[in-house]
Amino acid sequence: MKEIKQFDPRFKIDMPTASDSHVIQKKAAMTIKRLDETLAAIETRPSNIKWFEEILHKTSYIEAKPIIGYFCNIVPPELIRAFDAIALRMDCGNPAFVQYGEEILSGEICPLARSSFAVLINNKELISKCKALILPAACDAKRKLGEILSDALPCFTINIPSEQNQGLYLNAIVNEFERLIGFLEKITGKNFSHSNLVSAIEESQKQTAIVRKIDSLRAEEPGSLSIRDWFMIIQSSFAAVNIQDWLKQTSYVLEEIKAYKPLRKRMRRRLILTGAPVIWPNFKLLNLIEECGADIVGDTLCSGAQSMWDPVVIDEKSTKSLLRALALKHIFSAVCPCFISQGKRLNRILELIEERKADGVVQHGLRLCQLFDIETYRITRVLREKGVPFINLRTDYSFEDTEQLRVRFEAFLETLETIK
Amino acid sequence: MITAGIDIGSTTIKIVIIKDNAIIGSGKTYAGTTPAQTAKNLYNKTLTDSDITENKIDAIATTGYGRRLVNFGDIVLTEIRACAIGAAFVLPEILVRTIIDVGGQDTKVISISEDGEIEGFSMNDKCAAGTGRFLEMLASRLDMTYEEFVTAALESFDTLLQMNSTCAVFAESEAIGMLAKGEKKGNIAAAAHHAIASRIASMVRRTAVAAENCLFTGGGALNRALVKALEEQLGNKILIPQDPQLIVAIGAALWAARKIQGNTNEN
Repeated sequence: MKEIKQFDPRFKIDMPTASDSHVIQKKAAMTIKRLDETLAAIETRPSNIKWFEEILHKTSYIEAKPIIGYFCNIVPPELIRAFDAIALRMDCGNPAFVQYGEEILSGEICPLARSSFAVLINNKELISKCKALILPAACDAKRKLGEILSDALPCFTINIPSEQNQGLYLNAIVNEFERLIGFLEKITGKNFSHSNLVSAIEESQKQTAIVRKIDSLRAEEPGSLSIRDWFMIIQSSFAAVNIQDWLKQTSYVLEEIKAYKPLRKRMRRRLILTGAPVIWPNFKLLNLIEECGADIVGDTLCSGAQSMWDPVVIDEKSTKSLLRALALKHIFSAVCPCFISQGKRLNRILELIEERKADGVVQHGLRLCQLFDIETYRITRVLREKGVPFINLRTDYSFEDTEQLRVRFEAFLETLETIK
Repeated sequence: MITAGIDIGSTTIKIVIIKDNAIIGSGKTYAGTTPAQTAKNLYNKTLTDSDITENKIDAIATTGYGRRLVNFGDIVLTEIRACAIGAAFVLPEILVRTIIDVGGQDTKVISISEDGEIEGFSMNDKCAAGTGRFLEMLASRLDMTYEEFVTAALESFDTLLQMNSTCAVFAESEAIGMLAKGEKKGNIAAAAHHAIASRIASMVRRTAVAAENCLFTGGGALNRALVKALEEQLGNKILIPQDPQLIVAIGAALWAARKIQGNTNEN
C-alpha cells in the first residue's frame, strides 16, 4: 500500500485551541435551546421526535466504533461505514462557532466553513475520538479546510472533476475512491471488506427508499410533518447514529404520516426550497417560512431530502462497480454549484414544481458562498422566463437580519396572491 | 366605507384615513421609543383632527417595520405591497414601472409589470448604507441641520470630491478625514449624496424593468439633493408625489378597503 501524502508536511503548525471554549459552548447550547423551544410550538410532530433531537444534541461520543468525520454530501459515507466506523458529517450550522472561526481563519470565508472548523477545534473530545476527516475538493473553502485541518488529524481530500462528465471522469473517481479505501485501511487498521460495503450500500438504499416515501407523502399533506422536523430527522442520520436504529425510528414517523388526517384542506402556499445547505440548529430560514404561513413541499438541498434522493444503483457486485455506483450517486448526480455547469439543479427544481404543484421557489443564499450566488444569475432568469415566482433570501448564520428577511419573504408571498 | 392605513416605520409613523377612495385625514410623527403607543396616539389624534369617531372606521391595516407591534389593527401587509398600491393611487394616469422608496432604515426598489402588479423588488442588505438615516447621521457629524446639509449639497452639487464609503460608520470617519484636510462641508455633503444615489441607481438597474416612469417615495424623496443626484445617475426625470412619506399608509388604507370589498384577487 502506497503512503498517501496529499499535504506538504514541511510547514506543519500547531492547531490553535480555543481560549474561551466554555463561552462558545455555552453560546452554542443557547442557540440549540432557543431552537428547541421554537420547534416545540409546531402543531403536529412525530411522537418520537425527541429521539432524533437527542442525537443532534449529542456532543460527547461514547461509541465503541471509531469515528471518521466527513464534509459534504459528495463524500460517500457508505465507504466509511464499510470499515465499521461511524461516518459523522461535520458541516456545522451553529452560529455560535462562526465568530471563533473568523478569529482564526478569516471573516471573508463562508460561515459554514468557519463554524465547521471552529466546532471541531473547540471540542477536544471530538477531535480526539475522530480518527480522520474526509473532504471533497469541491468549493474553495472545502479545498483548503482539508489542508488546515491536516495539522490536527489525518485528512483525505477527494479530487473531484470540475465537469460532471461521467464518460470522461467516472474511472478517475473510482481511482480516487480506491485511494480513499487505502487511506481508511491505514486509519482503521482493517482490511477493506467487499461484503461490508455491500451491506453499507444496502443500508443507504433503505434510507433513500424511506426518505422518498416520507418526502412524497408530506408533499401531499405538508401538515403531517413540518419541514423543520423533517430536516432534523434527515440530518440526525448525518450524526453519530446507528443507521439501523435510524431506519427503525424513521419507519415509525412514516407510519404516523400515513395515518395523518388533516382537519381541512390546507391553504398554505407550496414552495420548493433550493440553494445553500440549511443545517441544524440554524433553522432561521425554515422557521421564518413556516411562521409566515408557507410550506416547503420539496427541496434540492444537500442537507435536505435531496441528500438521499438518488439511490445507489448497483448493476453488478464487483468492487469496481460498487464504487462506480457510489460515484454516480454522490458526484455525478450532485446538484452542488461547484461544477462548471449545473443544469441538474435547475432541472430538479422544475421537476419538483410540476410534480408537487408548487407555487414558487425560495432560495437560501448563503452570504460568502460565491458559487450559489453566481448561479442565481441563471436561476432567476430561467424561472422568470417560465413564469415561476422566485425569491433569493440572502443571509448568513446571524439572527440580526431576521426582520428584514421577514419583510422580503412576506412581500414575496403577497406577490403570489396577486399572480393567482 | 372608511379605512385607516398605518405605516409604522423605523423613524416615522404615518397614518392615512380614506373614505370612498378619497383621503379625508392624515398624520405623521416621529416613532420614538414606544412606537406602538405612538401609533395609537397618532391614530386617535388623526381621528379627532378629521372629525371621525373610532366606530366609523371599518378596518385598519398596519404596515411597515412595526406592522405587528400594534394590537389594534385588522389587516397586516408589507410596505412593499402597500407602496405599490399607494403609487398607483396617487398617479392614476401614469403606469409607474419603478418605485424607489427611501425610508429611515430601508431602501427599496419595486418593479411593476405592465399589468400593474409587483414584478420584483429588492431591499438594502442588513446595513444602513443608502438609507435616510445614513444622511442624517452624516449631517449631524458635520454639525449641520438636515436642511442645511441638503442645501449645502445642492450648492456644491458639481464637486469633484468623491466619497468612497457607503457604510454609515466608515463614511463618518471618511467625512472627518475630509474635514481635517480642509474640505468644504458642502463638498462633503454633495459627495455623500452622490455616493448614496449611485448605490440606489445600481439597485434600480438590478431590479427594475426600466428606469422610466420612476416614482420616488418615502422620506428620502423630500431631499432635493438626493432627487437631483438620482436623476443624474438614472439619466431620467423622477416623479415625486405630493406627500411622498404618506404613499405606503395610503396603500395600506386602500388595501383594507379592498379586503372588505373582497376585491383582492385572493383565493
